[in-house]
Amino acid sequence: MSFWSTLLAELRKTATLPASWVAGTVTLLGSAGITVLNAIGTRAALDAGAPESRSFVSVFETGYAAVPLGTVGAVVIGVVAMSSEYAANSTDAGSGRQVTATLAASPRRIALLGAKALTVALFVALTAAVSIPASVGVARLIIGGDASEPVALDVALVRSLGATLYWTLTGLIAFAITVLARSGIVPLVVLIANSSLVSVSMLLTNITPLAHWLPDLAGRRLFGGLSTVEGGLDAGPGALVMAAWTLGLLAVAGVVFSRRDA
Amino acid sequence: MLLIEQLVKRRGSRTVLDRIGFHARSGRVTAFLGPNGAGKSSTLRILLGLDRADGGRALVRGRPYRSLRDPLRTVGSMLDGSGAHRSRTARDHLAWVARSNGIPGRRIGEVLEQVGLADAGRTRVGRYSLGMGQRLGLAAALLGEPEALVLDEPVNGLDPEGIRWIRGLLRGHADAGGTVLLSSHLMGEVAGIADDLVVISGGRIVSAGTLDEVTAGHASLEDAFFALTGREQEAAR
Repeated sequence: MSFWSTLLAELRKTATLPASWVAGTVTLLGSAGITVLNAIGTRAALDAGAPESRSFVSVFETGYAAVPLGTVGAVVIGVVAMSSEYAANSTDAGSGRQVTATLAASPRRIALLGAKALTVALFVALTAAVSIPASVGVARLIIGGDASEPVALDVALVRSLGATLYWTLTGLIAFAITVLARSGIVPLVVLIANSSLVSVSMLLTNITPLAHWLPDLAGRRLFGGLSTVEGGLDAGPGALVMAAWTLGLLAVAGVVFSRRDA
Repeated sequence: MLLIEQLVKRRGSRTVLDRIGFHARSGRVTAFLGPNGAGKSSTLRILLGLDRADGGRALVRGRPYRSLRDPLRTVGSMLDGSGAHRSRTARDHLAWVARSNGIPGRRIGEVLEQVGLADAGRTRVGRYSLGMGQRLGLAAALLGEPEALVLDEPVNGLDPEGIRWIRGLLRGHADAGGTVLLSSHLMGEVAGIADDLVVISGGRIVSAGTLDEVTAGHASLEDAFFALTGREQEAAR
């Protein structure tokens, strides 16, 4: 039982779990949908000859505006990768949990967790690689080529990669928390609310500047260019802080997972 | 083949397993018998590396389960049903299990055929009946053509035809030189399959030996079971 076999098994498991595809598809269609709304507004403003009235006159900015919300998709992928292990089957079918079969097949737990984390990272990155260009593509289709593009291609690329990194780290944090919680409900509610409705970390910055070092805020400049609250870390150091949180949480999850009874 | 030695397991202040020991030999069907909550599942979970023991050891061919390379090729197991996620099909479930232990893909069709689920391979597991879930669990246990089978309550939910079928399957596995360890609280089903019996009650082994040895002096296995486990419960009070 090599690490490779465990990884291939985990990739297969995630690829055959409907919830992971639902998360990926909702992310893709959700960001495309938001982009359609934004792009129609931008097109109308251009047609009216008053582009200043729209905050996003560039095709890239219009498409990219939907990207931060896509973090929700990364959270769902990270959570279901682990919560599906602990979901009880119907009592009709013996009410067993998949984690029993998983650990019987791959009893080396750190290797198993590593394979799962890598799987989450790959699926989130894949979702980003499809969703972000798709959103920008949708924006271009609707706005058309006659808008001036103030965002250079290399900047656009760096920001897309930054967003992909942010999504991936968020997905891994969601995964690590779910390993500790052994259920998907609490991590899903807390993390989705935090990355879409109200950012608890953002509110905390009103109380203490230390909140800027929390993972979701530390990494937020990876998106680049978007208007956000002042202060906090720059993209580079912020990414390092967020990555350190991710590795730290994965390490804690690894220690707990390898010691605890299944 | 399977050796349990001085196994101790505590949950909080409660001692679930109190220095239990027995072995399951090759070529024989060993039944692990006891009332619900006696410690059967706890023992099997430790044997399969799922839970940790607080003392003693459980070995497969002289090694802890967790150190086995491709464990499913040595021990096939089933605990609480199929272990398949309800939104996956049986084929998709068996596919990742096979992949994890380097088991060739052709085995998936073979075991589905063997357990009588060939037509339900593309059905989501959430739509399975209890009996079908048990059959899928057995399919996963058989996947790696293991020498030993460790099955927790395998006859649960099976209809009479299914019980007859599983008896034949386990008998055949032992007769071919394999090891079978199964737990049950149903004496009637066990009497028809087992060569050796290990009776557990209140976390202690109260009797172990061949079917004849354990039932000696009693009218039936059922009488022996209640005499052995009842005496233990009175002593515990």
